[in-house]
Amino acid sequence: MMNSRKRSDMFRKLLIANRGEIALRVVRACREMGIRSVAVYSTRDRDSAAVRLSDESVHIGPPAPKKSYLNAAAILEAAALTGADAIHPGYGFLSEDPDFAEACEKAGIVFVGPPTAAMRQLGAKHSARALASEVGLPLLPGSLEPLDDEAAFDLACDIGFPVIVKASAGGGGRGMAVAESADEFPQVFRETRATARMLFGDDVVYVEKFLRPARHVEIQVLCDGHGGALHLGARDCSIQRRHQKLVEESPAPGLPASLLSEMGQASVRAALAAGYEGAGTFEFLAAPDGSYYFMEVNCRIQVEHPVTEMVTGIDLVAEQLWIASGHPLRLTQEQVTARGVAIECRINAEDPAHGFSPAPGVIRDFNPPGGPFVRVDTHIRPGEAIAPEYDSLLAKLIAWAPNREEAIARMQRALGEFRINSDNVRTTKDFLQEIMADQRFRLASHSTTMVEQLLESPANDRSLT
Amino acid sequence: MTGRENGQRQQGSRTSMHEATADDQHADRPHPRELAAIRAAVADLLSALPQRPQRLRVSIADVTIDLDWRTLPGPAVPQPAPVVPTPAAVGDGTSGTSTPVTPSVTDPPAPGPDQQPHYVCAPTVGTFYHAPQPGAPSFVETGTAVTAGQQVGIVEAMKLMLPVVSDRAGTVAEILVADGTSVEYGERLIALGPANDEQPQAE
Repeated sequence: MMNSRKRSDMFRKLLIANRGEIALRVVRACREMGIRSVAVYSTRDRDSAAVRLSDESVHIGPPAPKKSYLNAAAILEAAALTGADAIHPGYGFLSEDPDFAEACEKAGIVFVGPPTAAMRQLGAKHSARALASEVGLPLLPGSLEPLDDEAAFDLACDIGFPVIVKASAGGGGRGMAVAESADEFPQVFRETRATARMLFGDDVVYVEKFLRPARHVEIQVLCDGHGGALHLGARDCSIQRRHQKLVEESPAPGLPASLLSEMGQASVRAALAAGYEGAGTFEFLAAPDGSYYFMEVNCRIQVEHPVTEMVTGIDLVAEQLWIASGHPLRLTQEQVTARGVAIECRINAEDPAHGFSPAPGVIRDFNPPGGPFVRVDTHIRPGEAIAPEYDSLLAKLIAWAPNREEAIARMQRALGEFRINSDNVRTTKDFLQEIMADQRFRLASHSTTMVEQLLESPANDRSLT
Repeated sequence: MTGRENGQRQQGSRTSMHEATADDQHADRPHPRELAAIRAAVADLLSALPQRPQRLRVSIADVTIDLDWRTLPGPAVPQPAPVVPTPAAVGDGTSGTSTPVTPSVTDPPAPGPDQQPHYVCAPTVGTFYHAPQPGAPSFVETGTAVTAGQQVGIVEAMKLMLPVVSDRAGTVAEILVADGTSVEYGERLIALGPANDEQPQAE
């Protein structure tokens, strides 16, 4: 129930309510599809790549995200001003805000994403868990309902430690904490609630078993809102720091094909049950014993979508726009085949030697790698200032090869070519090289705790110079 | 694209300086390297200006950059045309480029003897109105003396009426944007001349 526009038309003009590499990614898709693009920008981003390469741009506010990229009124005004008929929210910012999606709908502008109701149900983690349980997705032991302090403590003791406390409205690795023991639990629970209230304005939290060791495996789905749905295989995103991904790859290595196919089918079932539309991701934890558990749904395009694109040959942003403009899927599940292996490394302006703390500053030299089967998604140019207001992603480096061993070798070669120099900006580049060289990663025996293990390893003195 | 390049050269320099200093928020005092970068950026800025200002002040915390353009009394020097990007409407559908937009704070004043125009800029994206409602008298006209904090217009964003308030005292030199026009954040709406101190308020 989007609006009265003729739904078989492609959009004429798309506004991108985001910044950085993803805004550029969407601008590029628009250019290729013959759609006019509108970039919106904060004062800080006035000379950004998306602003330069889009057809039009509108200054929507000062650097602070609340007053610019999170300012729904300013973005809708910009859409009205430019006559955009759709808004792509990218990831982060307003991408998973059902109120914003609803406001777009009221303004007669198509929101490129799932319907508001599906977003509300899947966006809140406790209701997503309830839905997953209804359609038979395996869940980790934990709560389906929001809990008070006492009930949460009893539940945590029942399911056994360690447990993880998560904000229902959380995302992007924020608003979650692990309690290792009953002693720790009350404090962890209280703190997570307080954090959730502060970050998301909503202190609903839930508790579930913390699985360790485990792999983070996720399924990319596409649904068209006409009953058509398919999945594009799995991504492994186990290499994380502070619950945020550093390395992603597709397909997920070292897991039985039958398991991945079962996860794919289960995800499609759940997406259809939720009335999902567009591109979405179902996240799971896979245990060494072959069991898997549903974690959450991301109702948007994801940072790591390129690895799926590289192995399937399907442009996910183009499919998002195709579906959002009302078309049925132009692919069948049988037509989706994955070839080879793609790995993505996130080059962040962060200092691995200091807990991956953001390290803003000005990038002096920036010389990304090239060569066969290497893709770099970045908005950075030499002289670019890395602003403290926004996330620290500088570039996504993606390498494809027919098999995993060659993909790793290609990634090592590409990381080695990548030149980033700055007086004060530290990056994750060298740390990513360490991961590529690590036997656990090479043998696909890694888990979500590998980054911690690398950092704690006493043989590993990481004082960067 | 030419308007953007011509009109924004100064702004470009200033922007980079602003960013270099804003990164210092994390440190108590700037690093020598950063100070060197700031000095270099200031030198760049000066070399990019069409005319040498009389005074340039840079303060670090919260970033203030002050340019003093007052010319000394003496023989009239031919002034270059003020570098003021026209607040053009966005999305004319033909340019294929982004619209030049003015920064929200401390615009470079157009040079002129004892003239330091100051601009009241749009607080958000929206529609700019001169008057509280259709048919009502405008908040201000050319020549109106305004005080700091006085409302001089309205920007409507998603049915929300945001007052446009002058951040300093002065005299309205020009209303730059027509009533009912769409504006971007930070777009110049009203040019203010100096307050007329010798002449007490007539009303």
